[in-house]
Amino acid sequence: MNHDDLLSVPSPVVSVNGLGKVFGTFDPSMIERTGPTTGTARDAFSGSIVAAWDVNFEVAAGEALGIVGESGSGKSTVLRCIAGDQPATTGDVRFTCHEEGTVNVLRLDPATRRRLRIDKLSVVYQDPAEGLALGVTAGGNIADPLTAAGWRNFGRIRSRAAELLERTEVPLDRMDDIVRNFSGGMRQRVQIARALANNPAIVLLDEPTTGLDASVASGVLDLVRRLLEELDLAVVVVSHDFSVIEMLTQRCIVMQHGRVVEEALTDQLLEDPQHSYSQKLVAAARA
Amino acid sequence: MDTTLQPILEASGLAKSFTLHNIDGRTVSALHDISFAVQPGEHVTLAGSSGAGKSTLLRVLYRTYRVSTGSIKFHLRSGRVVDIAQLTDVEILALRGREIGYVSQFLAAQPRRSVLDLVSRAGVSRGMSRTDAREMAALSLRRLNITEALWDVHTAVLSGGEKQRVNIAAGLISPPRLLLLDEPVSALDPENRARAIDLIADLADAGVAVLAVFHDLDAISRLATRVIRMAHGRIIDDGPAAEVLPFLQPSDVQP
Ligand SMILES: Nc1ncnc2c1ncn2[C@@H]1O[C@H](COP(=O)(O)OP(=O)(O)OP(=O)(O)O)[C@@H](O)[C@H]1O
Ligand SMILES: Nc1ncnc2c1ncn2[C@@H]1O[C@H](COP(=O)(O)OP(=O)(O)OP(=O)(O)O)[C@@H](O)[C@H]1O
Ligand SMILES: [Mg+2]
Ligand SMILES: [Mg+2]
Repeated sequence: MNHDDLLSVPSPVVSVNGLGKVFGTFDPSMIERTGPTTGTARDAFSGSIVAAWDVNFEVAAGEALGIVGESGSGKSTVLRCIAGDQPATTGDVRFTCHEEGTVNVLRLDPATRRRLRIDKLSVVYQDPAEGLALGVTAGGNIADPLTAAGWRNFGRIRSRAAELLERTEVPLDRMDDIVRNFSGGMRQRVQIARALANNPAIVLLDEPTTGLDASVASGVLDLVRRLLEELDLAVVVVSHDFSVIEMLTQRCIVMQHGRVVEEALTDQLLEDPQHSYSQKLVAAARA
Repeated sequence: MDTTLQPILEASGLAKSFTLHNIDGRTVSALHDISFAVQPGEHVTLAGSSGAGKSTLLRVLYRTYRVSTGSIKFHLRSGRVVDIAQLTDVEILALRGREIGYVSQFLAAQPRRSVLDLVSRAGVSRGMSRTDAREMAALSLRRLNITEALWDVHTAVLSGGEKQRVNIAAGLISPPRLLLLDEPVSALDPENRARAIDLIADLADAGVAVLAVFHDLDAISRLATRVIRMAHGRIIDDGPAAEVLPFLQPSDVQP
């Protein structure tokens, strides 16, 4: 299709093509023995788990894509493969950032991938213990990615940490307290501050507010939403909570037993879900 | 070429049905064979009794509902024509905002967002500068009788009528070329309703095409240049307001 300027769609920063992840031995025949049609991600024959298969999507700068689905549907697996925390079994994950052009993350050597992970991509985990060192101060947790990126000047690191804490609404007088002493909402804010330290192009959020009290969650959510608006990030948000998806994303995919069963505009998914599984999820969320 | 005679929207043979997989797989047919065109500056009111398909039609045009069959030709500012039924999700997102806006009866839940922030944000997302957007937001909030004391209050604590006026202010700031309105003034008292209607009336004067549902004959008589009457998911009447209005049944406009 020909695009004129008013319908010009932004070019993708993250592009995921045919991504698949199998835990255990892999044999192509297990694909048809697993997924929504058979009702399980676990291959009865081999015991392997097809945690994600044939996942395709693109995310542009300034855009947030949601991944929804029940527990075990493969949402976190997709994020971990994009972040390079886990090797994918098959497929491509491409990042397009200004300096490097397009790179296939899954084919990079470990050192380059680590660099990319530090400079371009951050993950915010549901469990702050995964994204933070709980025994380290808030300031120290933020300093960590900065030093990894080559920052050496102590004063500059502290002022950058202070700036980030301010931005994520963590009182500055808590900068030198260890994170273990922080409330759940505050830990999540420190995790977000840390994630933004190196001005990433891509941020992956895995259930960023699950487990928080409703009022605390809404504060964190509001922070995330403002950051999405202000910074030109390409974002993927995993959540089983439709209110999170509704507030943060414009488009989403629905996963069931490791497969994408629906891809939709977020408002369309909520108002006119097509797949029976999506209809079940939306009905459950409304109840 | 006289561009005023070019329609902005042409729907033809539109149908919409819902397949409810988890309710014995039944199919609910909501729209059948809907065809009509809208010109810039026209204010078209959709009338019809409850369940006639008015909201469904607006949502199909905005692509909140997927189109089952038919086409929705949309004439872009640039003159190029696209079919909303066929566009990808990403293209729809590009089309929304600057070209097509949608204002429903309810303000989308946005906890912790201040009134002024919400309205000016809508302007920024349509390409206004932050300063212009704040100025315009202040202007429309004043016109809609939302006092300054409420501007930095979170929208969640507003009354139903205040929420609805904030929603209108956000929907009408830097208006898109086609505006879909679904009972936007239903919760307002007569005085505030009159103010909101004035604001909506200005849109058509500015060349915006408006497709709206009102449950209020006064609003329709004041605003509509044309009325489309629907029943059971079909168009049963379509003509200039002066011709169709006398034939409207009370049930066509009752909530
Ligand atoms: N390291 C692993 N080894 C073996 N199986 C794994 C591993 N990680 C995940 N799985 C399996 O892969 C499937 C998908 O898991 P994943 O964590 O992606 O689900 P999820 O959608 O994020 O669920 P939740 O909502 O509970 O977080 C599950 O069946 C899970 O048990
Ligand atoms: N998401 C949906 N899923 C299933 N059926 C739907 C959905 N949306 C609308 N319908 C059905 O489509 C028909 C038309 O509904 P619609 O809301 O368009 O009526 P309306 O003319 O706007 O009525 P009202 O004046 O009461 O708002 C109804 O039978 C309704 O139940
Ligand atoms: Mg998970
Ligand atoms: Mg309706």
